Amino acid sequence: MKKILSLIRKDYILFWHDKVAVGLTFIVPAALILLFGSIFGGSGNDASGIRLAFLNQSDTKIAKKIESTLDTTKTFQIIKTFTDDEGKEVPFDTTSIKDYIIKGSASSALIIPKDAYSDTSFGLKLKFYYNPKNELEMQIVQGLLQQTVMTQIPEIFNQSMMRRSEEYLGESKGLSFNRKLASVISEYFGVDTSKILQQGFYSTYNDSTEDDSSSDKGASNFFNNIVKLDKEQLVGKEVNNPGATRSVGGWAMMFLLFSITASATSLFDERNSGVTLRILSSPVSRVDILWSKYLYNISLGIIQLTVLFFAGYLFFDIDIFSNFGNLFLVIFCSSAAATAFGMVLAAFSKTTAQANGLGTFLILTMSAIGGAWFPTFFLPPFIQILSKFTIVYWSIEGFLQVLWNGAGLLELLPTLGVLLGIGFLVNTVSFWRFKKGDIF
Amino acid sequence: MISVNNITKRFPSATALDNVNLEINKKEFFGLLGPNGAGKSTLMNLLIGYLDSDSGEILIDGEKMTTGSPGLKKKIGLVPQSLALYEDISAKENLEIFGSFYDISKKDLRYVIAEKLKMVGLFERKGDNVKTFSGGMKRRLNLAASLLHDPSIILCDEPTVGIDPQSRNAIFDYLQALNEEGKTIIYTTHYMEEAERLCSRIAIIDSGRIISNGSIDELLRGLEYKQSISITKSPVTEKYIDSFKPFGTIIENPDKYELQPDDGLILSDFYKRVEETGINYTFINIRKPSLEALFLSLTGRSLRD
Repeated sequence: MKKILSLIRKDYILFWHDKVAVGLTFIVPAALILLFGSIFGGSGNDASGIRLAFLNQSDTKIAKKIESTLDTTKTFQIIKTFTDDEGKEVPFDTTSIKDYIIKGSASSALIIPKDAYSDTSFGLKLKFYYNPKNELEMQIVQGLLQQTVMTQIPEIFNQSMMRRSEEYLGESKGLSFNRKLASVISEYFGVDTSKILQQGFYSTYNDSTEDDSSSDKGASNFFNNIVKLDKEQLVGKEVNNPGATRSVGGWAMMFLLFSITASATSLFDERNSGVTLRILSSPVSRVDILWSKYLYNISLGIIQLTVLFFAGYLFFDIDIFSNFGNLFLVIFCSSAAATAFGMVLAAFSKTTAQANGLGTFLILTMSAIGGAWFPTFFLPPFIQILSKFTIVYWSIEGFLQVLWNGAGLLELLPTLGVLLGIGFLVNTVSFWRFKKGDIF
Repeated sequence: MISVNNITKRFPSATALDNVNLEINKKEFFGLLGPNGAGKSTLMNLLIGYLDSDSGEILIDGEKMTTGSPGLKKKIGLVPQSLALYEDISAKENLEIFGSFYDISKKDLRYVIAEKLKMVGLFERKGDNVKTFSGGMKRRLNLAASLLHDPSIILCDEPTVGIDPQSRNAIFDYLQALNEEGKTIIYTTHYMEEAERLCSRIAIIDSGRIISNGSIDELLRGLEYKQSISITKSPVTEKYIDSFKPFGTIIENPDKYELQPDDGLILSDFYKRVEETGINYTFINIRKPSLEALFLSLTGRSLRD
């Protein structure tokens, strides 16, 4: 037994001295649990700050109520103006709000048309423009939008209904109809009839059936039919396979980062085997080695991403050819940025194991918060800010712009600029570090 | 000709080389001897332009060697201490990669690769992955990879570490043949017997300093000698035997004299007296001291400590 205990002790000592193993055992999973926990546990359910373009063309009381409700809710960040070509902030009109969505400045827009609601109409008609480059996000946005509207202003609809019944049936018959309806609700749900008539059907009914989920669902469906969202998809209607088109870029980027990290960390293997020394004893300089490694990794990235997108074309009919030039530009810039990541990892690590451990942690984190696994929309606001500092986020943005929006070069320039900027900055840091480090 | 002038190289943890001076002649087989951590590899790294010195300079044929001397590097072939090879590709592919760093046409490189593989006895295995090779075969390939560009100077940094005697002897033979062809060879080792077998001249380095430098005979002659010297009896030796009395006690035997040296006998002084008397060296039988003994006398510790 003593021998077994000694052997166990030996394993713990070795484990504790292997900082990478310790990190991968405790820190990486803890960080990912924290991340996923915050997404699927609490913060993710309380989505907030979703950008929603908004145009209210109606001057009715209900429209104003909806607008003020949206203005005050934390769920949405309401955008009512855009910056025109002269740099001025201009309120949306029907055309400009469409363009705003098409350009990708926001994923969805809500319009309350002039005829959204009138005293002679039943219910509320809203116009909803959307760009479903992330389908899941769109479904959640629509749900949240309806929830926001319905939970804030149900009594208006109730009063509207009672008023409409009085209009159609005449004041006395209408009042009688409403009283009878109220008494039926009172009989079944045990609520005071006067309260029903005072507050409206929905709120009273809802108060009295808090524990009855099926009835509550029925009520919700009822009101869902009252608010009609006239949806119009503005972007991506021609996309062959929306699901695959959305996801291929994120997954491809994650695997690219893994392969480039492995390639960059081969610098350690070459150093340890003495190959670097042999190469540097020939007319090859350190700068030559770094440039060759950098260019090799970029080319590897281009080949890998191209092959993966081609696989997407073969398996899922993703249209990669109609905008291939721009797709190639995003592939190139993404590869350059991913290569810079691999190089900086190698520059700041001391061993292959350290680089691989740190790389695994960073790649998984970047993929999670950058949108490779699920929409960044799910993430808590402060992580959504962080996600914009990741290569994965901007690469996915670029791929979606090309494959989903069919974006041209001018529209792509900001995204390409960010990717190249990240690549340049990170590379500068890694080259500086390589000079100071002992990898050579 | 290689001139190492006042070279000092410091690392954060230690001074690896401290004001080192050396001259290595063309076509010389020069040994650099010292224990592990003495500064041999650092000096090699400076000679190949892998490192820059903190002070001093290295001149190769009058040109200064630095990390930025690509032209000068073409004159040098390094046989590294470690097996600097890609194990997952073939011997031929390894040589193609390392040869491509020099200005050799593809056609010439193919020819040179075949020639070098034949030289080290690996031509038949050229297509096999290096990882399937024995330690000795890898060492031989390691040597071949350093010779592709026909360097005039070959730096061997302990090239026989961890191999069997047969492969070691084969490498010695290749190196001696290269030296006979006119290549300058600088050979670092901490095995005295290797230096004694191969090198015409050696420098002993310890703690970053050259503590002795010269031909092996020159170095050993400077060593304090403590073993008996046998002088065969002949008319000439009988005539001059008394002139050796200052070196110690002489005991006469029927066929020879035994000189028991006093403390402090220096062999070079003894040889000088032999030459003055005109006695032929064939009458003198000295058990040659080893470089190990020389190192011990110079540093007070064993070479492999």
